[in-house]
Amino acid sequence: MAFRPAIAEFLARLTVDDETIDRARRVHLRDAGHGYDTFGMHPSFVALGEAVIAPAFEKYFRCVSHGHDNIPQSGATILAANHSGNIPVDGAMLWLDVLRNTEPPRVCRPIADHFVPSLPFIGTLFARGGMVGGSRGNARSLLEAGELLMIFPEGVPGIVKPFSKRYQLERFREGHAELAIRHGAQIVPVGIVGGEEQMPALFASQRLGRLLGIPVLPIPILPIPLPVRYHLYYGEPIRVDQEFTPDQADNDEIVASVAARVQASVDELLKRGLAERDGIFG
Amino acid sequence: MRLLLDDSRIGHVVAVTGHPPEVFSVKEPKRLTVFQAQLHKSRQVHKLLFGVVQEHKVQVVVHTAMHLDASDEGDRVHAFNVQALRNLLTLCERHPTIKRFVLRSASAVYQVQRDLPILIGEEHPLNMAGHAPQWVRDRVEADLTACVRMGIAPLEIAVLRMAEALAPGTGSQMFDFLQGPVCFHPGGFDPMVNLLSISDTVHALSCAIHSDAQGVFNVPGADTLPLTTCIRRWGRLGIPIPDNLLGPLYRIRRRLAGHDFRYGMNRRWLIYSGVLEGSRAQEVLGFVPSHPIEWPVLCE
Repeated sequence: MAFRPAIAEFLARLTVDDETIDRARRVHLRDAGHGYDTFGMHPSFVALGEAVIAPAFEKYFRCVSHGHDNIPQSGATILAANHSGNIPVDGAMLWLDVLRNTEPPRVCRPIADHFVPSLPFIGTLFARGGMVGGSRGNARSLLEAGELLMIFPEGVPGIVKPFSKRYQLERFREGHAELAIRHGAQIVPVGIVGGEEQMPALFASQRLGRLLGIPVLPIPILPIPLPVRYHLYYGEPIRVDQEFTPDQADNDEIVASVAARVQASVDELLKRGLAERDGIFG
Repeated sequence: MRLLLDDSRIGHVVAVTGHPPEVFSVKEPKRLTVFQAQLHKSRQVHKLLFGVVQEHKVQVVVHTAMHLDASDEGDRVHAFNVQALRNLLTLCERHPTIKRFVLRSASAVYQVQRDLPILIGEEHPLNMAGHAPQWVRDRVEADLTACVRMGIAPLEIAVLRMAEALAPGTGSQMFDFLQGPVCFHPGGFDPMVNLLSISDTVHALSCAIHSDAQGVFNVPGADTLPLTTCIRRWGRLGIPIPDNLLGPLYRIRRRLAGHDFRYGMNRRWLIYSGVLEGSRAQEVLGFVPSHPIEWPVLCE
């Protein structure tokens, strides 16, 4: 895809100011020699990502951030959040919120399901903004380099859960807990309120999904998400890097207990968010 | 060859070629002996090793010979790619002076797909697909033939899995891909590629020659960049085309223009990112890629 960084920056400048471009240039990037990191991220595309997401973030979903001081300024970190809404708007909102509320600015690297890198155009654009495919090796490489990862431990079952099960967390997978212990990363639980109501679905079809090369295709009631208000709650970091040694990542009980703690923390944040908010659209 | 001869730690080089010695371009009578041998003919190899190689007390064998043309297949090609290596290893194991064997392998032995890591370590899965073309299967078999002898044979064996060297005469599919004025590539995809210069290729071989470490080592290049940037910096026009049209398009190109690039064999490398991770070569052999490719187009 002949999408040059210069074009990305030109497009970004149509809607964002110089300060935003400058912020994107200051993100931590391990330049592999041609302005991109090994996984394909480039600052100009980070700026473009902000330009594209900002209108939805500020005007449509009117995101409010709570507790972003809990995001460490540096070092290997996993943001573990609930996943919902049938389309990954929650990921986009979280990505931009972290970029705007960290100093120096950090790009949280979304760890996407395996099918995402195989989507033409989308896979490439997401990679330019920091996304990597969800293999253990990719996550290991990023954590060993001290990067910030965005993981949704519920996986696909979370994002396609029926409306009737909103804010009821699917069982958290344990991979993020094992990665954090093995590579000495902190886990910051994140509760995302709003996404679970944005796009109620009639049903989700695995058969149609397979035709498109994705695990499941949700069939929403409305073609676009509702203008729900997003609240992002960042909890206290879970310091598995201090509590455990890397070899304990092979202890299934410890890993399961950490995953359970993360799930419980996210659940608490969601309860708090639901109690504090002034309605779905307020 | 010139760079090896410039290394003062190397006393004498025996260069083995399939062509008459007179056509060999490098001349250095005191420190270079050029020997003609067909490597798939065991008698000739025996004569080489127990003749001039023993005479010059050669201690290290560097094997880089592989059939370069991806379109050629069959027993003859397999004999050159794999059986010659097997025979060479057997002879080296009982040779009185040879202590070390360095095999130049290739990143093409690795599997690239969407659910595998982008950063390829030495433990990354190899391309064992039955439908892989012989060009790939032979390289995997040669690589594994050397690997299984490690620790068994009285020979130090180092296998260097090198990134594609963007240079002629190296059998590089990427170099061939970039030869046409127009490079058709899968629309919607722009993977990261890692490329090696000839200078770094020689530097890596030199590090392996002078080391006593045994094992498999990835040798990445100094250039990691998106495919479309690579095309532009090589001075070519990149045109995105739907994936399913590229196979026939490149078959036509092979027939009309004689280029060797095979899309089917390289498809996954043009869709999914795959970059060699070279920390083991750095720690053990002391190799760090430091000679970027001299791109015809200087900047974006």
